[in-house]
Amino acid sequence: MTGTTHPILLLGVGTAGSRIARGVRRAFGESMRCVLTDTDASSGLDGEEFVLLGGDRLSGRGAGGDPIAARLAAEDSLQALDPKIEGVRLAVIVTALGGGTGSGATLEIIKHLSNLGIATIVFATTPFLFEGEDRMRTSRGVMSLIEQEANSVFFLPLDKLVGSEDVMEVAMKRAVDTLASGVSLFWRLIQKPGYIRLDADRIRRLMIDSGRGRFAFVTVQGPDRASEAVDKLMNSELLAIASSPVNAILCGVLAGEDLRLSELGRIADGVRESFGEHVSFELGTVNDEKAFCGRICVVVMIFESIQKSEKLSGAGVGGNRRARGAKAASGLSAAVDRGRFSNAAPTIWHGEDLDVPTFIRRNINLDF
Amino acid sequence: MSNIHAALEIGTTRTVLAIGETHNGGRLKITCHAEIPSTGVRKSQILDISQATQSIRSVLKEIENRHDALGSKITIANAILAVSGQHVSATHAEGNAVVEGAKVGDDEINEAQRRAREMPLPKGRELLDIIDQDYAVDGLGGITSPKGMSGRMLKLNTLLLHADSNRIQDAKTAAESAHLEISEPLFAATCAADAVLEEHERRNGVLLLDIGGGSTGYAAYSDGCLADAGVIGVGGDHITNDIAYAFRTTNAQAEKLKIEEASAILGQYTTENSRVKLTGSSALMESRSISRRSLDTVVNARLKELFTIIRETLEEKDLLHRMHAGLVLTGGGAGMREIDIVASNELGLETRIGKPLHVDGLEDSPNPWAFSAIAGALLYSQRTTEEKSVLSDLFGRFFK
Repeated sequence: MTGTTHPILLLGVGTAGSRIARGVRRAFGESMRCVLTDTDASSGLDGEEFVLLGGDRLSGRGAGGDPIAARLAAEDSLQALDPKIEGVRLAVIVTALGGGTGSGATLEIIKHLSNLGIATIVFATTPFLFEGEDRMRTSRGVMSLIEQEANSVFFLPLDKLVGSEDVMEVAMKRAVDTLASGVSLFWRLIQKPGYIRLDADRIRRLMIDSGRGRFAFVTVQGPDRASEAVDKLMNSELLAIASSPVNAILCGVLAGEDLRLSELGRIADGVRESFGEHVSFELGTVNDEKAFCGRICVVVMIFESIQKSEKLSGAGVGGNRRARGAKAASGLSAAVDRGRFSNAAPTIWHGEDLDVPTFIRRNINLDF
Repeated sequence: MSNIHAALEIGTTRTVLAIGETHNGGRLKITCHAEIPSTGVRKSQILDISQATQSIRSVLKEIENRHDALGSKITIANAILAVSGQHVSATHAEGNAVVEGAKVGDDEINEAQRRAREMPLPKGRELLDIIDQDYAVDGLGGITSPKGMSGRMLKLNTLLLHADSNRIQDAKTAAESAHLEISEPLFAATCAADAVLEEHERRNGVLLLDIGGGSTGYAAYSDGCLADAGVIGVGGDHITNDIAYAFRTTNAQAEKLKIEEASAILGQYTTENSRVKLTGSSALMESRSISRRSLDTVVNARLKELFTIIRETLEEKDLLHRMHAGLVLTGGGAGMREIDIVASNELGLETRIGKPLHVDGLEDSPNPWAFSAIAGALLYSQRTTEEKSVLSDLFGRFFK
């Protein structure tokens, strides 16, 4: 498949987002379909597909840290994005919140893609604490809006991506590199063939039915690499900040030809046990001898349930959208799990399957 | 006469074997019991016979080890089986007899009993018990002892308790594979009733709910006898499952939340923002907490639903208004915090938690209500052994 017709698109928004997207593409290879967007024309100078946002308004000089200017610039240029996203069904957006273009343009782009029926997965960094309260406030303000609009969101606090003792310049570069590695691993997972393959539709379904997510990955080697990977992941700060119940887990194991079945089982069991038996669990593998010889890399994406506003609970926006909060209370969809009773004869009372949790059948909303 | 009795319960959450002995004064004492978490059982139904066998072997071994430690050998060859599960049900039957003379005599009573017991059960059902409820002479009902009464037609109303014969056979197979013979299967809820109810409660009308892991058995008594019985396929495991589903926890964590944190009523232990920390094996789980109010909401919703089903069932049978002595809760589920309040509110009956009254040996148990059924099964074993002994004694006198 060529890079220009692929149904999955990597979209970098803003200067930092574009830098991360370039890093992902470098790590993955030229076959990745990638588009960069920024209010700063210099982001488009290295030959990538590029859409300048608000050229007439800002003259390609950037939004100057002003999210409102960036939002208006994005609104001006949405139509220019359309030819670049033809045939796309899933857009993976990388962006950095707290500044101008990332904070202002990302939301408008997500809305636009949703209106075109394109599912969106957003990887967004949030500022370092030392960047100050203003940037944090800007970031917080847009985070909840992105949660409402995107199908899945992964917020990655920069403080959690790098060590606090790193030199500033090194820290920024490392944060970008780390995120680029993580996203490229995710990309490999859905693109490269493995024995257990996650195809785009499966990922899309999972993500559309999920919610806010957390994302972590580790690379380990050595004789006990599977257990070590699980241990590191489960103690990762990126996952430990999860505060809501987990709806689904996507676990990817990237390895060379030496990946043993027992290792795969240990990883799957270890990850699954940590989150509970009722959580939807998807496992995929990538076999790439060249990239992972002797090493394994485990990527875990967990999806939490979040409350979406009633305004967005109706059909229409993004085609497949619905309120996350309404998910638990949305009645007996075929997907409702009978949990530990799945193998036992059902208890039916007045047409209701009593093995399905009562709070679901009674549409009782819970605050977590 | 043997004064040692054994009873087995293969429940959804635990397998229990108990030993009882008749002590001086004829009172039964549970001298030893062993319990382990069940495996291979869901909703009171055995799904894996080999796992159930292993559970039975384990409790047998435990009992034997305890006796060995005390220097007394014990070999348990057979046991009464307390059966629960939604495959157990009750059917009303009647037997009629024409009164030959002017008054009802033993012949007519025997004939009515014989005919009531002849009523065929549906295919695949095994009889657990027959309860003679009351007699009617020429249409006049509610008679407990018709002998000597005048009339032309005698009718006996009975209640047949029966269960799926395959399910019973599965339990027997599991036990036999562990070298334990099942001497008789009995309905767990009526066993529990035997252990915890007072005679005056049965006379005045009382409902017993035996809330197990996978199902809830009920036994409604009126005018001193069992008026109706049955099982709803919802038990404590459903609460655990609901919690696990709502808060995405493991079943073990959900069970712990249910037992240690949850309340059946809302607002009892909660403030608006009260939260419960989850405990788990990973740093991720350790970092999570859940809303206590939501936890109680999940439990409350399930229990209210269960008691509503019981209420509707009894109202349909015109029995609820006859339960003047109220409601008694037994089984492991009866230990749920504030469950008696929810039950009382939903059923409109004064409610108490039942503890075995007619047996000794459970005084130090933290959850005696969970042993009600097995205590009742031991009482049954004691009673029938004594009856056999009396018969054997009588035969001995006649034929020596």
